[in-house]
Amino acid sequence: MIWNTRNSAYTFTAPEFPILEKQNWLIHLHYIRKDYEACKAVIKEQLQETQGLCEYAIYVQALIFRLEGNIQESLELFQTCAVLSPQCADNLKQVARSLFLLGKHKAAIEVYNEAAKLNQKDWEICHNLGVCYIYLKQFNKAQDQLHNALHLNRHDLTYIMLGKIHLLEGDLDKAIEIYKKAVEFSPENTELLTTLGLLYLQLGIYQKAFEHLGNALTYDPTNYKAILAAGSMMQTHGDFDVALTKYRVVACAVPESPPLWNNIGMCFFGKKKYVAAISCLKRANYLAPFDWKILYNLGLVHLTMQQYASAFHFLSAAINFQPKMGELYMLLAVALTNLEDTENARRAYAEAVRLDKCNPLVNLNYAVLLYSQGEKGGARAQYQEMEKKVNLLKDGSSLDFDPEMVEVAQKLGAALQVGEGLVWTKPVKDPKSKHRTTSTSKATSFQQPLGSNQALGQAMSSAAACRKPPSGAGGTSQLTKPPSLPLEPEPPVAAQPPEASAQTREK
Amino acid sequence: MAAASSSDSDSGRAESNEASSKWLDAHYDPMANIHTFSACLALADLHGDGEYKLVVGDLGPGGQQPRLKVLKGPAVLSESPLPALPAAAVTFLMEQHEPRTPALALASGPCVYVYKNLRPYFKFSLPQLPPNPLEQDLWNQAKEDRIDPLTLKEMLEGIREKAEVPLSVQSLRFLQLELSEMEAFVNQHKSKSIKRQTVITTMTTLKKNLADEDAVSCLVLGTESKELLVLDPEAFTILAKMSLPSVPVFLEVSGQFDVEFRLAAACRNGNIYMLRRDSKRPKYCIELSAQPVGLVRVHKVLVVGSNQDSLHGFTHKGKRLWTVQMPAAILTMNLLEQCSRGLQAVMAGLANGEVRIYHDKALLNVIRTPDAVTSLCFGRYGREDNTLIMTTRGGGLIIKILKRTAVFAERAGEAGPPPAQAVKLNVPRKTRLYVDQTLREREAGTAMHRTFQADLYLLRLRAARAYVQALESSLSPVSATAREPLKLHAVVQGLGPTFKLTLHLQNTSTARPILGLLVCFLYNEVLYALPRAFFKVPLLVPGLSYPLETFVESLSDKGISDIIKVLVLREGQSAPLLSAHINMPMSEGLAAA
Repeated sequence: MIWNTRNSAYTFTAPEFPILEKQNWLIHLHYIRKDYEACKAVIKEQLQETQGLCEYAIYVQALIFRLEGNIQESLELFQTCAVLSPQCADNLKQVARSLFLLGKHKAAIEVYNEAAKLNQKDWEICHNLGVCYIYLKQFNKAQDQLHNALHLNRHDLTYIMLGKIHLLEGDLDKAIEIYKKAVEFSPENTELLTTLGLLYLQLGIYQKAFEHLGNALTYDPTNYKAILAAGSMMQTHGDFDVALTKYRVVACAVPESPPLWNNIGMCFFGKKKYVAAISCLKRANYLAPFDWKILYNLGLVHLTMQQYASAFHFLSAAINFQPKMGELYMLLAVALTNLEDTENARRAYAEAVRLDKCNPLVNLNYAVLLYSQGEKGGARAQYQEMEKKVNLLKDGSSLDFDPEMVEVAQKLGAALQVGEGLVWTKPVKDPKSKHRTTSTSKATSFQQPLGSNQALGQAMSSAAACRKPPSGAGGTSQLTKPPSLPLEPEPPVAAQPPEASAQTREK
Repeated sequence: MAAASSSDSDSGRAESNEASSKWLDAHYDPMANIHTFSACLALADLHGDGEYKLVVGDLGPGGQQPRLKVLKGPAVLSESPLPALPAAAVTFLMEQHEPRTPALALASGPCVYVYKNLRPYFKFSLPQLPPNPLEQDLWNQAKEDRIDPLTLKEMLEGIREKAEVPLSVQSLRFLQLELSEMEAFVNQHKSKSIKRQTVITTMTTLKKNLADEDAVSCLVLGTESKELLVLDPEAFTILAKMSLPSVPVFLEVSGQFDVEFRLAAACRNGNIYMLRRDSKRPKYCIELSAQPVGLVRVHKVLVVGSNQDSLHGFTHKGKRLWTVQMPAAILTMNLLEQCSRGLQAVMAGLANGEVRIYHDKALLNVIRTPDAVTSLCFGRYGREDNTLIMTTRGGGLIIKILKRTAVFAERAGEAGPPPAQAVKLNVPRKTRLYVDQTLREREAGTAMHRTFQADLYLLRLRAARAYVQALESSLSPVSATAREPLKLHAVVQGLGPTFKLTLHLQNTSTARPILGLLVCFLYNEVLYALPRAFFKVPLLVPGLSYPLETFVESLSDKGISDIIKVLVLREGQSAPLLSAHINMPMSEGLAAA
């Protein structure tokens, strides 16, 4: 090689200094390919050769340390880098990032502000400052910084953070506005689409919710959150088979998700496969033993199966976790009635009536119990209470009432000799509707009949029919809860666990 | 997990017609010992005989033995050592003269080595960077001994803090030295002029003035000093110089230098900058918020692979067109150009041992390889037009030939349901036992419930009684009285007949020390002997755990064990504060003795 000859005259006087950045390109190539072992080998060699002066080698070593979870070490190395070239905003940014990961948000903000002085127009600095402020719960400052970041350069992540702030502040409408803009900016981001869909679902705007969830599923047919949310919507419309097919995808991807098995269980319940329903719900319960919604469903299914003793246990467990729900006490009362413990049943009903504000079933069932105990006065009072609630519901929306509930109410009204017929001015339109979903859900702003389990109503009635006279005590028409809202308020952390916002439940 | 399962299916479908695969396996050598990047692979008709050769700038195993290899067919034609690791290899036409054999350029360190006919032809070195004038001045002063090393150090540090132009290696090294070494260092180095040298990070070619396939091309170099240089193909002078905000990693150029060209440079800060002919600075910028791992231009779309396992398509103005998620990390990318059918597509080598070929968003083909592919190159090799050359992480070489009949069809309506949807749900079966129990519960639910409730009350009653009893007789190992909050736990060590019994006594109050406590052991004197059955406890400082050790001798040889009771008492009180029952282990040492 002609160029391989060295000028030997120089070697006597002073050794040539190696070029510090000689292998930076190689370090970088290894780093971006995630070939960290090779990367470390080159870094070591380079640092030895340059006696620790190669800034980029230290920088990448620190990045690798951070990826490996050694945040403290990485922080120290980044600080070394910052000493080697104090004018570089990148080093400061990384120092701040490490501080952020160590949970020292205030210190991180200080360093980011330092970095911002060196580089005014960096969206990343603004964005990260915003995130730090979120952790410090200074939402106004966070919003300012995030808007600055959006102004400099638009990124999906910034939108997500902004939306999160609004959610933390409980402002759904503003959050939806932000997510709408975000979806406009990047229409294929499934996370944005899913979150927006879930928000619409929470507000009860089902058409739009379904549209966005559907879009998310088009781009990513295996999106866990979107499938669960869409599935629960299908369930409320009685499309149990379609929902089940969708759930299969999730069952492959996230086989240990409690909400998934809960929803699958309730699908089987809707299809009257009670044993399968119980298996799935029990699995959900095994995976999330402290989730009262699963316990609620388990109680419901066991009531249907006439396993009142088991139902009692699940319901009382659910009440321990969620002591403020009238329907739970009502179901407990039904179980107790069937276990011939009338005294406790009455106490449970009393609690249910105290807690519940809008479900006429609670009062109706209570009235039936009182009537069967021969307390006509008490029964009449409950009946009137029920009428009030029914009137309220009718004013609020155009809900159809469960025909069976109507029937029982009419019978009871006749027996109590109160003016019935006034309440049920809107009779059930046609017999077919019985095969559709029915609902006496809580008077939330649902436009469509949702959350029903007419199957349950039928099952219960048949169960009651074979054991007791039709107007007998308790458990005539059990109604289920509407699906709880899928988007639960998230804990104030930036990294959201996938489950946190996908708790779709069908009740 | 979801991504992984979906990918399996996708590739399953793309590969479903294994028999009618689009590729012929021409050659596979797992021990070819080629370790390189896509940038260091080039295909060219180096000898002008119509037989295309493969040029590999090989880093060698572990980056130790850089070599230039030229392959013809499956065999290595020539191999020569390189002075430093090659950063990029390209072939280009230098001049118009016949025979039009392309030259080979290898970028390595601060130099570009140009070969013609595989013989060294020219070496281009990057010009030195201008040194910091202040620094230069300081060293000049040092040379004339007008400045002492300590002042020099202070001044240099001042420059490092503020100056725009970074210091030379010499100064940086000097700043690291101890006081005693400075003098010698200055004397040794002061006569040298200070130098700042940079290195080439990436290289590509750009047609000079004609768009033809065999037109003369310029070399485009990206340097560590955040600059782009365009070199004249004949004189190797710098025709144009552009500066970037960060160090370029990948370059993609289209157009002709003399007419108009577009240049995209993916940089280390995760951004991609677009430059035009007349712009000295970037015109557009794509912020990826991840590191780019590959940059390929397909027609007018710039395809970027990011280290977050995704491919993005951008317009030349930096607008994002689409995003495709990959099942694994992207290791390398390159362009697939099938001239006969006018097809251009992107190949991406993934960490899971797949090579995926995409036309925009559509997946055209998946090639499974036995090892992860780290470099890729497609083109004419030997006499075959459409050859795919891959090297793997372990140093293997794979050559595949695209069948002449093969047509890459975009699968219409590939959306389809994910395959997981066909998998049956794993619902537990109902068992005989379950059915029996259900029936029984239906029959005797009420009785079961009553019995259960009664037993539950009994249990609660018993628990409450036991608790009260424990409280009354201070049987618990934790004392919660306001005056003496104490915690006790005991450990028995040894095999016997002598055991060591250690009591850990802790004062759990926040501030108050406890004085005047006594410990008393109650035991069966037939079975055990203790040196002291009763002793005083020293002052207990809050929070510390005090180990109190004593030896226990087992006297019985019948292998029986008993309980030793430990009582903690307050001086002058007969009721213990707390107590512990220690189940002594059986003496095993006895059997041996």
